[in-house]
Amino acid sequence: MSQHSIEVTVNGEAVRAEVEARRTLGDFLRIDAGRTGLHLGCEHGVCGACTVMVDGLAVRSCLMLAVQANGRDVVTVEGLAHADGTLHPAQQAMKDEYGLQCGFCTPGIVMTLAALTADGARPTEAALRDALSGHLCRCTGYQGILRAARRLAQGTAA
Amino acid sequence: MKAAPFDYVVPDTIEEAVQHLADAAGDVSILAGGQTLMPLLALRMATPSLIVDINRIAALSGVSRAEGAVRIGATTRQAQILADPTVAAHAPGLTKATALVGHHQTRNRGTIGGSISLAEPAAEYPATALTLGAVIEARSARGVRRIAADDFFLGPYTTALEPEELVTAVHFPEWPAGTRLIVEEVARRPGDFALVGFVCALVVEGGRISRAGVGWFGMGPTPMRSRKAEQALTGQSATGLDLAGIAALAVSETDPMEDGHASAAYRRKVAGRIFQRTVGQALAEQRAA
Amino acid sequence: MSASPPGGVAARFVGQRVPRKEDRRLLVGRGLYVDDVVLAGMLEAAFVRSPHARARIKSLDLEAARALPGVRAVYTAADFAHFGLDLFNSFAGRGSGPTVRTLADGHVRYVGDPVAIVVADNRYIAEDGAGLVMVDYEAEDPVVTIAQARDGAPVHDGYTDNVGVAAATPDDPEIAAIFASAKHVVTGTIRHQRQAHVSMETRGIVVAPHGEGELTLHLSCQSPHMAARYVSLLFDLPETSVKVLSKDVGGAFGLKIQPWREEVAAIAASLKLRRPVKWIEDRLENLTSASQAREQEITIKLALDAEGLLLAADLDYACNVGCYPHSNDCNTFAMMLFTGAYRVPKLAYRAVSYYSNTVGQAAYRGPWAMESLARETMMDVAARQIGIDPLVLRERNLMTAADQPYAMPSGMVVHGVTPCETLELALAKVDVPAFRAEQARGRAEGRYLGLGVAVYVEPTTMAMGGPFSTDSAHVRLDPSGKVSVVVSTHSQGHGTQTTMAQIAADQLGVDVADVTVLEDDSSRGGFGPGAGGSRQAVSGGGAVSHASRILADKVKAIAAHMHNANPADIRIEGGQISVAGVAEVSTTVQAIAEAAYFTLDRLPPGMEPGMEAQYRYRPPPIVFSNAAHACVCEVSAETGVVKILRWIASEDCGVMINPAIVEGQIAGGVVQGIGGVLLEEIAYDAYGNPTAVTFKDYMIPTIHDVPEIEYCHIITPSDSEGGFKGVGEGGAIIAPPTMVNAIADALAPFGARCLDLPLTPTKILELIEAGEKG
Repeated sequence: MSQHSIEVTVNGEAVRAEVEARRTLGDFLRIDAGRTGLHLGCEHGVCGACTVMVDGLAVRSCLMLAVQANGRDVVTVEGLAHADGTLHPAQQAMKDEYGLQCGFCTPGIVMTLAALTADGARPTEAALRDALSGHLCRCTGYQGILRAARRLAQGTAA
Repeated sequence: MKAAPFDYVVPDTIEEAVQHLADAAGDVSILAGGQTLMPLLALRMATPSLIVDINRIAALSGVSRAEGAVRIGATTRQAQILADPTVAAHAPGLTKATALVGHHQTRNRGTIGGSISLAEPAAEYPATALTLGAVIEARSARGVRRIAADDFFLGPYTTALEPEELVTAVHFPEWPAGTRLIVEEVARRPGDFALVGFVCALVVEGGRISRAGVGWFGMGPTPMRSRKAEQALTGQSATGLDLAGIAALAVSETDPMEDGHASAAYRRKVAGRIFQRTVGQALAEQRAA
Repeated sequence: MSASPPGGVAARFVGQRVPRKEDRRLLVGRGLYVDDVVLAGMLEAAFVRSPHARARIKSLDLEAARALPGVRAVYTAADFAHFGLDLFNSFAGRGSGPTVRTLADGHVRYVGDPVAIVVADNRYIAEDGAGLVMVDYEAEDPVVTIAQARDGAPVHDGYTDNVGVAAATPDDPEIAAIFASAKHVVTGTIRHQRQAHVSMETRGIVVAPHGEGELTLHLSCQSPHMAARYVSLLFDLPETSVKVLSKDVGGAFGLKIQPWREEVAAIAASLKLRRPVKWIEDRLENLTSASQAREQEITIKLALDAEGLLLAADLDYACNVGCYPHSNDCNTFAMMLFTGAYRVPKLAYRAVSYYSNTVGQAAYRGPWAMESLARETMMDVAARQIGIDPLVLRERNLMTAADQPYAMPSGMVVHGVTPCETLELALAKVDVPAFRAEQARGRAEGRYLGLGVAVYVEPTTMAMGGPFSTDSAHVRLDPSGKVSVVVSTHSQGHGTQTTMAQIAADQLGVDVADVTVLEDDSSRGGFGPGAGGSRQAVSGGGAVSHASRILADKVKAIAAHMHNANPADIRIEGGQISVAGVAEVSTTVQAIAEAAYFTLDRLPPGMEPGMEAQYRYRPPPIVFSNAAHACVCEVSAETGVVKILRWIASEDCGVMINPAIVEGQIAGGVVQGIGGVLLEEIAYDAYGNPTAVTFKDYMIPTIHDVPEIEYCHIITPSDSEGGFKGVGEGGAIIAPPTMVNAIADALAPFGARCLDLPLTPTKILELIEAGEKG
């Protein structure tokens, strides 16, 4: 099996690794880059827990090979909050609205919300809800997540 | 759920890519958006020796117009298609279909070439291509081949592609402005594969239907086209149609299966109802317009 | 109304929507789940699993797998024989039932039955190795369904049939007489499909053997203490030499109440290899091999008089508990609870559990929930049959405050519940007359709207004996003035690090921000059973409350001594201490704490120095919660698709520690219940092959499938410390009948009876057609 030398920008930091072709981006980020904030909930592209941003777009990291991210810019949930600890508006909205319980699906949800509201974008609540349908949560019944999305749509998140 | 070992190449050109396919003699998978291939690899249901990643071939991506059709490059992402103004203006049926494909996150990676090549019978793109008369452009080391969608989908996940062929683009013929387009599906949850999916294009001129496309997804081993229904619609007055009769005819040309999500009888019944309702609405809107 | 904690301390945090202390770390990716743990020299495991539901293992060839570079060991049952592992099938200890081996020994008994464990340098190689293990099977005819189990070949050796447990009330001629003479007898059979728990985090363990017979286990579990006890008993190790760490757990819902075959196999492999071993269940394993739930059928017979008053109920119940159930019972509790919030003089039941060649069952959020589904759906069926409004039928039969304490015919005594009041609130919120008018208009236009209501009482806390009887809290006020609470609760999303801190902060008069709750380490604090039975608020909360009060009393005693005051006059608020009526006296909790450790001569004579208190709380055996839920839905007669328009949850869980967390528990349960009615099904084909093995086919609700839940709260304090009641399972118990009743109401014009779950679009159209034809 082929081995590949890759360099991926992860949360602004260059991460180099030798990876087997079959290594997923999700495994690379968790194991090689140490970004365990993203979680592997299904490894077949349904649950959304592993969602990260690749070149600014929310994608499922279990459905990309690590080698495909060579030269790309990846942001994980660890890369969202300010260095001073101020939460990203997507994180703050989720916190304020009790959008999480066990927290396992949360990083993926936050990444989708962050990607859709990047650069001051103000998607509609319906658009956010539609995008969030790509995430499974078993704890919250989506109630707080829905309210968090509404806050972001209304621009009332901190 | 970790993939079995494989080799990986990422060619920069179509020529290189098809040479890899030719050399691999079938024991190869093409990686486009990966939204279906990656789960199959993780489940070890696909265990190719070689993966050819076509994502870095610039010539494969993008939307253009040529020869009365909108040409969508194979690796054009579903999200790009959904947002593309050329597609919206000249192949609006494709825009409608794309809105129903998967989820935001998968549309950011998923490609039209991947979806067409996979030939999932319950997916939106193959049925849309079939109904609207799309042509699939494929390349191999031996050259370019254009395959009508009618001749392309042979069975579940089975197409007319040779193992060494790569889909390079899908050409959607431009239907006349004002064509009534329907893409409607019933799914257990939004974003899931359809239990019943319906694609329809109707051109109405001077109160008569001059051209019709009727197709289905989730209604058989392949995307299905109802030619008899198309013929029955064509030339008819847009008012006073025997919609129930034509719906029954259209459904008779499908071959739905029973699975864990719906019975075959359900699919037939609902297909007929959707046909009647949506075609009726479309013609009513046409009259009002 | 609001309640004060005992001790006359003003509630400042209890009852408030205090932000969760857990959230920040989870939102920034700093949680610590088991798969985040990486140890030096750690290996990873994968299992070779049976592709047959029932087969004899003729031979095993492990050579190719063992020869694969990176594979460090391949073990089968024979390799673990010397451990003598016969798994306890109950978290409480060894129960009745079949022998449960870690790995299949000679026979496989369900698809997914682990045959071998492959331990390798990483999971990729472990799976490569698993693929190289060659097993020669001789397939046998499996027993898959309840019907097959009734007369099929025994699944287990040494059994003459497939009956797990059978229980029944004694024959009662009075009941027969009631049914013979009752004005109305209503019958129906309800089938509930099999479901999966589907915690978003699957099961997982990292085993670290060290020292002489010492084990550290990083485990996704419901209680570190219970898991440590389980493993120490199983491997015959001193309990203190097994340390279970479990910081963040991504949901459990009953699945993780005890370690099971795979976790134990990973421990055994690690002990043999003397190296850390990680096993993280993948989703394919989770949906095919992790314990499952439900799969029940019940035939209900109700006797009612001319006024619609319930006279007696008769139940025939059967459940398919699979091959190796977590606890060997036939859900007697569901039978005993059947009468719910209604006055029913007489109850008879016969319940049987059956083994089969399917995955074993485990408790799943409201394991006895069938009682509510059966009762509440049959109440609607009865109302239609008799020709009265289902709401009226309920009102006539519900137990009122005056009826309580009310002894159910099963002998359980209910008190302190408010079914009438919660129902009234829910119906007011619905505005039933306005809905009925809208429904009538809709029907005229071919739109089918339905209103479903269900009422229940829920036994919580479950401290009737056994491990669930008590909880422990150790509260420590440090010289810094900060408070640490070590408590035997454990969160898999419950937010107990917040709620327990709220309770302690109120008792101690300090800011909730200054309280840290620790519940992730079995070696810290005292034994406690963790999550299960909706018990943590009551039992853990009571322990924290009481232990904190002991400490608060000590703070007051010291402060009083220092300032020549009466301890009864000492007030603590916001970490500040004052003496009633003496404005000039002001000190801080921190100063008192520091004195307790550092300046011992300032303490009252004879007082033990330091600021630590512990208390083991024994809550009431059962604390009843109750609720009434209402759902408004629209059913498409064209497609059979159900759209939920409104959902009202009106509940009484006593004093709410944190209403946001209470509502979160209700919402999560409700949506799991909705999934059970509309979407989810673990099905097996005739050969015992599971047919929903990925999330493409095992469908749980998404954000598109849920309503925005409207809440009404009634607070009737319980007689437990703090007045709390459990609320963790109720949503999942009451949502299914609420949803079913709404659909049945929508389909009432077709005369449809919706008793076979899940109610897929196919089934709903069939029900409509059956009605149209009938």
